[in-house]
Order: sequence, then C-alpha cells, then structure tokens
Amino acid sequence: MNRTLENLILDAKNAWDAERSSGRELIGVCIDTSSIARGAEDTLAKIREVIAAKNLNIDVRVVGSWGFNWLEPTVWVRSAAGTHAVLYGNVTADRVEDFVQRTVVDGGVVPELALGVIEGNSLDGVGLIEDHPWMQGQVRRLMANTGVIDPGNIQHYLANSGYEGFGKALDMVDEDIIKLVLDSGLGGRGGGGFPAGRKWDFLRNATADPRYLICNADEGDPGAWVNRILMEGDPHLIVEGMLIAALASNAAAGYIYIRYEYPLAVERMQNAVRDAYELGLLGQDILGTGRAFDLYIIKGAGSYVCGEETGLINSIDGYRGMPRIRPPFPAQAGLWNKPSNVNNVETYANAPMILRNGAEWWANVSDTKEKGTKMFTLSGQINQTCCIEIPWGPTVRDVLEHYGGGMEEGSVLKGYQPGGPLSGMLPASEADLTLTLDPYRERGMFLGSGGIVYFDQKTSVVDLCTFFLGFCEDESCGRCTTCHGGTQRAVEVLRRIGVGGGRESDIEKLEGLVKTLVWSNCLHGQFAMTTVKLALRYFRDEFDMVIREKRDPSQSLAGLISYRVTRPDDPSIQAAAAICPVNAFVEKDGKLQIDDDPCIRCGACKELAPNAIEIVDRFPARATAEVTAAGG
Amino acid sequence: MASEPTVAELRELVAEFRPNAGHVLPSLNKVQETYGYISRRAIEVVARQLNTTPALIFGAVSYYSDFRTTPPPETEIAWCSGPACRLKGGDRIREAIQHTLQLPLNGHSDDHEYGFHLGQCNGTCTEAPQVWVNGKVVGNLTVAKAIELARDVKADS
Ligand SMILES: Cc1cc2nc3c(=O)[nH]c(=O)nc-3n(C[C@H](O)[C@H](O)[C@H](O)COP(=O)(O)O)c2cc1C
Ligand code: FES
Repeated sequence: MNRTLENLILDAKNAWDAERSSGRELIGVCIDTSSIARGAEDTLAKIREVIAAKNLNIDVRVVGSWGFNWLEPTVWVRSAAGTHAVLYGNVTADRVEDFVQRTVVDGGVVPELALGVIEGNSLDGVGLIEDHPWMQGQVRRLMANTGVIDPGNIQHYLANSGYEGFGKALDMVDEDIIKLVLDSGLGGRGGGGFPAGRKWDFLRNATADPRYLICNADEGDPGAWVNRILMEGDPHLIVEGMLIAALASNAAAGYIYIRYEYPLAVERMQNAVRDAYELGLLGQDILGTGRAFDLYIIKGAGSYVCGEETGLINSIDGYRGMPRIRPPFPAQAGLWNKPSNVNNVETYANAPMILRNGAEWWANVSDTKEKGTKMFTLSGQINQTCCIEIPWGPTVRDVLEHYGGGMEEGSVLKGYQPGGPLSGMLPASEADLTLTLDPYRERGMFLGSGGIVYFDQKTSVVDLCTFFLGFCEDESCGRCTTCHGGTQRAVEVLRRIGVGGGRESDIEKLEGLVKTLVWSNCLHGQFAMTTVKLALRYFRDEFDMVIREKRDPSQSLAGLISYRVTRPDDPSIQAAAAICPVNAFVEKDGKLQIDDDPCIRCGACKELAPNAIEIVDRFPARATAEVTAAGG
Repeated sequence: MASEPTVAELRELVAEFRPNAGHVLPSLNKVQETYGYISRRAIEVVARQLNTTPALIFGAVSYYSDFRTTPPPETEIAWCSGPACRLKGGDRIREAIQHTLQLPLNGHSDDHEYGFHLGQCNGTCTEAPQVWVNGKVVGNLTVAKAIELARDVKADS
C-alpha cells in the first residue's frame, strides 16, 4: 500500500489504542438530527456540566447513530480500564446526573436503560448488543462505524479500516477496480438498482475530459433518512467511496449534492472533505501519487426533482433544477456537458468494503439477486421508528414485526408505502413480499431508496393519494404539461372526491390521467400517478365507497365526517369549546353544540373531550337518503 | 427585522465565487444564511459576480422552495408535511394552525413577526406529528397542543 497512507493509518491506530488505554472513562453521545430532535444536545450539555461539577477526569465523544431512533438519546460509557462499553437508550437530560453517578462514579451499569454491551464481554444483567432482539438479523457493515467513531475525526475513521479500500484501489488499474465492483454485484441504492460497476465503466470509457462524479445526497423521499444516517455518522465512508470510483473512472472532480433539510450532514461532510484535503487524501497530488481528485459539497435549496440525476446536474450547473431530456445521458454529457456519473450515497459507501474485503465476501451476505446489505428506515403508526441495515430478503411484515416493533396500540396494518411519492401503496395482504427489487417492479412501482411507511386502518387511502399527488404537483418542475397539468388535475379530482363530491366518472378520469402522465419526459411525471394507479387496483372498494356512498371507512376524511357533541353537560366540553380555532361551538337551548359550517374538522375538541364528542358520517347513509327521497 | 445589506456588503460576501464553477447555489445559500433572505439587490450582485444576468439568477431563486426573497419572520412555525406526520394527524394540525394564525402556508404576518412555512420530513419521524419552531423540533403534537403553540406565538408578537 501507499507508504504515506500506511503511515497515516498506523498513526491513527496507535492514537486510537492509546485513547482506549488512557485509564479514563469515555462517554459517547449520539448527536445527529434524529437524536437532537429528542433532546440529545441537552443530554450532552448536562453530561459536560455534571463532569465539571463532579470534577471527573473523563472524555466525551460525539458519535453518530446506532439506528435506535425511537430510543434516543443514546449514550455509551466505556470503562476506565477500556475493557468494556455499554450502550444505553433514553438517556434524557433529567436522567444524566444519576446516570453519570452510577456508571462513572460508582463504576456500575444502569440495567433499566441498557441496550447492550458494545465492547467486551457481557456483564451482570446486560447482554451483548448483538443479542438485543432488535439487532438480530442485522449486519452492520455500512453502519459499522456509526455510533462508535466521532464523525468529525478523520483519525477515528483511519483507525477503523478507513481509507484501506482506497489504498488497495491505488495499487490497481482502473479496469480491475471496475471488474471487482461488477463481480460484487453492487447495484445502485437510489432506487433503480443499476449495476454501479457498469456506470463507472461508462465513465471510464468516455471520450471527453474532464469527467465528473456526483453523489446524490438529495434524499428527497419523505420517510427515508438512510443517507443522512451515513453522512452524519460516518462521512468519510462516502469520501472514500467516491475516491475509489474516481480511480475506477478517471474522474477529475466530484460533487456531493445534499438537500437543504440536512444542515448537519452538510456540515459533517464539509468537515470530512476539509480534513481529507489536509491529510493529502484529496487534491491535485493525492498522497504523492500524482493522482488528482477534487471534491465539493453543494447544498440544495428545496426541490424534489433535483434528486433526479439530470435535474441535479442542472442544479449544480446553476440553472433551474429541471430534469433534462435524454439522450444525451450523463455519461456522455452531464455536468457542464462533460461525462458524468451519478450515484446514491449508499452506493458509493459500499465501495470501500468491496475493495477491502473482496467481492465475494461483500456479496455473500445476501442470498437474493441483490447483493450486500441494505439500509431501511421504518416509520408510520409503528412502535419503533428506526434505521436498520440488513441482508436483502426479509418480508415487509418481518421487518415491521421484528424491527418496527409491530403496529402501535390500537392500530392494525392496513398497508404500506415503500419508495416515496413516486412509488405506490400496497395493502396488508401484500406485506409478505420480500424487500427486494423485483416484486415491486412487477407491480409497476419500486422499492426505492430505503424508506418504508406503514399505515393503519384509521388512514384514508383517498387522503394518502391526495397527499402524494399534492407532493408530486408541488414538486413538478413545470416542463411537461402532462406532469404539471396532470398532477394538478388529479389533485382537483381527488380533493373533490374527498369532500363528498365524487362522481362515477372520476375513476375513468383518474385512469385517463394514469395513461397520460407516462408520456412525461422524466420519471417524476412518468411515475407521479403510481400511487393512484395502485390504489385503484388494491383499494378499489374504498374508492367506490367514498365516491358512491360518501362514506369513509377510516372516518378521517375531513370532508366526509362531522363532529357532534353527545354529552353537552360533560365538564370537558368547556375546554373543548375553548380550544376550537374557529369558534364553532355555539349555544343551543343553553347547551354547547358544534356548528357544522365553520367547523374545520381538526379534531382538537375531541382530543380534549373524547367521551363527550363523537365523529359521525357527514352524509346520511345512502339507503336512508333514497328512502327519504322516495317518501318525500 | 435586519436592515437590507448594502451592495458593498453583498459584494464582499460573494467575492469568492466564480462564473461557470457551480457557484450559483453556494452563493445564494451563503447570502441567505447570512441575511436570512435574498434581496433583489443580492440577486443583482450575485449575477454580476457570476457573470450572468439577474433574470437567470432570479430564475434559480424562484425555482427552489427554500429560497426566500423577503426577510424571514421573527418566529416561524414550519410544518412537517411528511408521511409519518400525516398519518398521525399532521394535516389536521396544519388546518388548525392556519386558522389560528390566519395565514396560508408560506405566509407571514404583515409585521413579519410570525409566519407559517411548509417543511419536509428530515427523518425525525419518532416525533411525528411535529412542527419546527425556528428550526427546533416540537414533536408528539396533538391538534390541541398545536393550537396552543400557535396562539402563544401570535400572542407573543
Ligand atoms: C423525481 C426523482 C427524484 C429522485 N430522487 C433521488 C434521491 O433523492 N436520491 C437518489 O439517490 N436518487 C434519486 N433519484 C434517482 C436518480 O435519478 C438516480 O437514478 C440515482 O441517483 C442513481 O444512483 P444509483 O445508481 O446509485 O442508485 C430520483 C429520481 C427521480 C425521478
Ligand atoms: S414525517 Fe414528519 S418528521 Fe418524518
């Protein structure tokens, strides 16, 4: 391996070992966007405060996420002897004083918060983290460092096999790197699954220079945050992955395009790039080899279609981020009309491991057509909102039960939505599909980049269609009339259906739009109607009921329900009336009632007076209506 | 409300950026991070710095939903429009906040004291349904809590 790199790694490993045998306790605190939302910064501040107050001689490290999002803030404590470390969940600021006392001062464990031993042998009452039920079946490869190393410390990365894959690639010719990546079977993680090695080979064979590599960190699918977990937890993994791709394709420079909503990921990636430059891992003469690669971070400004690769390229180019008309493809004319290659964050992040451990090792973890591991984020009405890394292949239901902790109390699985707004919803009866690419392709949708949203019987499919189509309308770039006009029309029709104005002919209209939008230029327009297309296939009864009977089985469509006071004398009614944002409570015969006209169906009153207010169908049942009409 | 930056200030701020180097987004983001919004003057300065036309720069500014051309309100409630939040009553929360603040999405009070903004899911769905108040997550909301929050924001200004 390159001598300079070898020395860098050796120094880093020595420093890492020295820290471990420092004789001081070390506290690791997960600071990422998910944990901050749950108060991790307060926990960190409190830990520092307690350390100062108690005059303790211990170190604190900021780390990324283990994926236990629902148990944040997570904190681990390594013993002074460096022999073991225990990970804890729900270490909120108010618990810190007691927590530090028991773990550091008394040198014990806090069993009620412990998740598992992350270094060393199991302890009294605390098992190994691998044995935690939620970790069963997970294989931590991409996430091997997240939650362990300080994402702001390049030395930590170097000490944990970091840049070793790049070191190997430096000793290989471009063709051999491509061959290795092709052999591994690494497919794009952004949703398409196209072999990464082939894309890199297109770029390698391009005839123009300079060539560019782009990392798609736009992660626009709401409900997906796997890329964020990597960028916030182990940013150098992506830098190294891109460096390897650069050696394979002879790219001169790279751009990492990160969405506006991820400021912490932007900051950590920027610092990682800066530190890599400082150590000579990036720049015009990398580690004295004469090889050159520059890397830049670009922060987006809020646009979903900028995640489409040509929209992204236009965005970096400085134009409106509108997807281009293809051909030419990016490999021929991309950024500044030069050959370019776009891959997802997770795609690049796999490259270091493939180089380090070989294609076979990397591939063998999954016995499906898809190789390697895949990260998923689970959300919705489930018990454990989380981020996991697993071999490909378990079913949607397995993952829900095992990692998502099942549906929340009072919730029954009605369906799920993988793949974001351009994919579709499937009913619970399809929850035994495996998490691989083909089952979704066969159904005219896609698995996507890793987000899976589970929904329950209290959810209206008409509402979800309106939501996803509304998203597609908002985010349409405006180029194709089929897309911007079509999504607009679809939203109008869906809204009308949702307020009880559905017509028999609406289904035909929506089906017409399904057929029309596929003529759009880019995948955004082509797939915008997927949600509706699949809803009409799998949830047709519900659509029919809403259109014909103007009744919503989930009783959640604002336009089809009314709120009614059932027990006006209940003391909770006063608070319910006071919370109403539109003053819909009126006195009738000395009693408070809800006036249906101004009521916006926000449901705040029922939250405060659950036993005194009920939801009823807004329109009388069809049969009754007909009888009345006939009689009158 | 901060006063509008001068041409000289803006020129200095974007002096590092170059034409044809992928600097449109970085320069606009820098202006917005520094001053909270991108004024007409800033568009002109950036255009000149990047050797292009204000129309082209304005085209980019208006394309992206997170660029602002007016100063941000003092207090901003950003509403998460994401799926987990939606499943847990997010849309009813939006409706209630809008009626409480008497503002449409992406609107602000005339005095710029408070505003209501459309936000996107960033994967803090453990807290769903949620809003961000000046960037800080306020999660596990009920509609009633959201109304109280909006009333407080309105009363404080
Ligand atoms: C509207 C739209 C949005 C997209 N958003 C993303 C995204 O946020 N992240 C991503 O990696 N790919 C996204 N894609 C797919 C990209 O166009 C592209 O296929 C992908 O980045 C290729 O990387 P991969 O081969 O590594 O998967 C999007 C596609 C469309 C049509
Ligand atoms: S849906 Fe609101 S934070 Fe994810």
